[in-house]
Amino acid sequence: MADPAIATSLHLALELHKPLLIEGHAGVGKTEIAKVLARLLATDLIRLQCYEGLDANTALYEWNYARQLLHIRLQERDGHAPAEAEAKIFSEPFLLKRPLLQAIAHEGRPPVLLVDEIDRSDEEFEAFLLEVLSDFQVTVPELGTIRARERPHVILTSNRSRELSDALRRRCLYLFIDHPPFEKELMIVRRKVPGASEELAAEIVSLVQRLRRAKLAKLPGVSETLDWAEALVVLHAAHLTPELIGETLGCLVKDEADLRKVRGDIEAGRLPLGAA
Amino acid sequence: MTADLVRRTVALCRDLRGRGMMVTTAHAIDAIRALRCVGMESRERVYLALRCVLVARPEEVEIFDDAFAMAFAPSSPPEGSTRVSRRSPPRDPAVVSSLRSWGEQGSDSEEQGDPEPVPAASDMPAVVQKDFSAFGADELADIQRIASRIARRLAARPSRRWAPDRRGRRIDLRRTMRRALAEPLDLRFRRRKPRKTRIVAICDVSGSMDLYSQFLLQFLYALQGTVARVESFVFSTVLRRVTGVLRQPDYAWVLRGLSAEVHDWSGGTRIGESLAAFNQEWGRLVDRRTVVVILSDGWDTGDPSLLGAEMELLQRRSRRVVWLNPLLGSADYQPLTQGMQAALPHVSVFAPAHNLAALRALERHLLS
Repeated sequence: MADPAIATSLHLALELHKPLLIEGHAGVGKTEIAKVLARLLATDLIRLQCYEGLDANTALYEWNYARQLLHIRLQERDGHAPAEAEAKIFSEPFLLKRPLLQAIAHEGRPPVLLVDEIDRSDEEFEAFLLEVLSDFQVTVPELGTIRARERPHVILTSNRSRELSDALRRRCLYLFIDHPPFEKELMIVRRKVPGASEELAAEIVSLVQRLRRAKLAKLPGVSETLDWAEALVVLHAAHLTPELIGETLGCLVKDEADLRKVRGDIEAGRLPLGAA
Repeated sequence: MTADLVRRTVALCRDLRGRGMMVTTAHAIDAIRALRCVGMESRERVYLALRCVLVARPEEVEIFDDAFAMAFAPSSPPEGSTRVSRRSPPRDPAVVSSLRSWGEQGSDSEEQGDPEPVPAASDMPAVVQKDFSAFGADELADIQRIASRIARRLAARPSRRWAPDRRGRRIDLRRTMRRALAEPLDLRFRRRKPRKTRIVAICDVSGSMDLYSQFLLQFLYALQGTVARVESFVFSTVLRRVTGVLRQPDYAWVLRGLSAEVHDWSGGTRIGESLAAFNQEWGRLVDRRTVVVILSDGWDTGDPSLLGAEMELLQRRSRRVVWLNPLLGSADYQPLTQGMQAALPHVSVFAPAHNLAALRALERHLLS
């Protein structure tokens, strides 16, 4: 996708070695940008999916307790001293690296670290993440400090379900992605769903664009457009008809009240089905 | 890089700072580094690069565009220009002064000239039952105290985070392993850490609701620190988000921010349209854990069916909709206005908010 705003932002993120914060509606392809970047740089993508309650252990590292316990048992059976066991079980083979530590300890080319949906995590985690992102080093008390040899490329995404802290925003470059305009979305559909004819794709996209201007509770994103196009192709659709839309609308509109509203609009002829 | 471009970029940063955006010296340095990366041939590239570095949220794009157009105007640079930003329309001086006086209530009680000595204890029935419209300055502290108590209770709900605990339900493997070096089966436990409740408050600041909304906002301001996720909005004809404003630690800042953000502190009410704007723009803040609190008397000058539809949407998305109507405090009030009638079927809790007792009762509706 040769969008100049996206290209410029990625270029700057790489050149200035700063994390890039991407915000936008659900389904506009925020996560996709990180995947594309990893592919372009021919490097690994390490993904940290955020959720409420995500804590440092889950994001950074955890000791492999089952293995440690087993090891202690074996050592006891063989009559070794506890001190010996301790030195052993807090060493690297017993360490489970979670995404942040994986990114820091990564060998070879610096990876792309995707911190997905940061707005879902708690404020406490956000503060912790800031610390990690500022020096890319982690201290495991039993092992010492692990430092990234080269800074990973960091991309954060947010759906804006809560306001992020100013401190985080200040440290990041910023990119807001809106729903794409008609031509661009048409191009995306043509590329990702080659089975759809040019006319069908245009009809699909112009209907989706109209729906986005309607007052719906959940606006369809690009990924919904693509799902819908796929479904219509599977049904061998050549053009949109009210019947076809009725059967497949669930791919596009995922809220009960919205469904009722859109169905009503189509039946009453308020939503033209031809391409714009 | 030309000296002119550097000068314009620095001027742009200064201008943005003046318009309230968070642009630090580090940002200015990054901006110049960014220009070095993208070159200066294309105006679009320069624009995109600077926007990427200097803008931090979508609401700022419009401010940035305006400032960029001025700083990078093709002719002479706009040093000392008097053009006014679209984002800061002229303010009504009466609004600002009424807000100032609200803020000063707490400190200058003498100026209020209240002849009655106000009892200090918050539990005195006379104080608890007194309508806010009859309030003196000293009672503000009471509201803060009750708010803190509610905040502590709210902050004590279990979440998915874990904390060590002797009698917890789940074995804490990390701590057990630490112990196991000495005694293998001395199990450590953990329990869920308290979870923060989400509250979205939408307050009517038109006409007579102004005073009650001020108290509710004060109350929410105290919640803000302890309960992390409180989002606050005010409306009369237009909806405005004041979360950021209420989050400022310094009280003076809060007031200055409010007077800057709420231009329509009194006037007609468009509840339906304001809620529609909320659902459209901020609906994502509401999920099924969120308690939505609306404070208004229901005097809507707009279309009641719109209000009904937007209320239905809010109720469906949230855990509960609490409608606070200070008029409920008077014995002979009947919720007969069209707006109130349209809203009521979609309200889980309909309660007054006219005095301390009512605010205290709010605790139950936010918690259960």
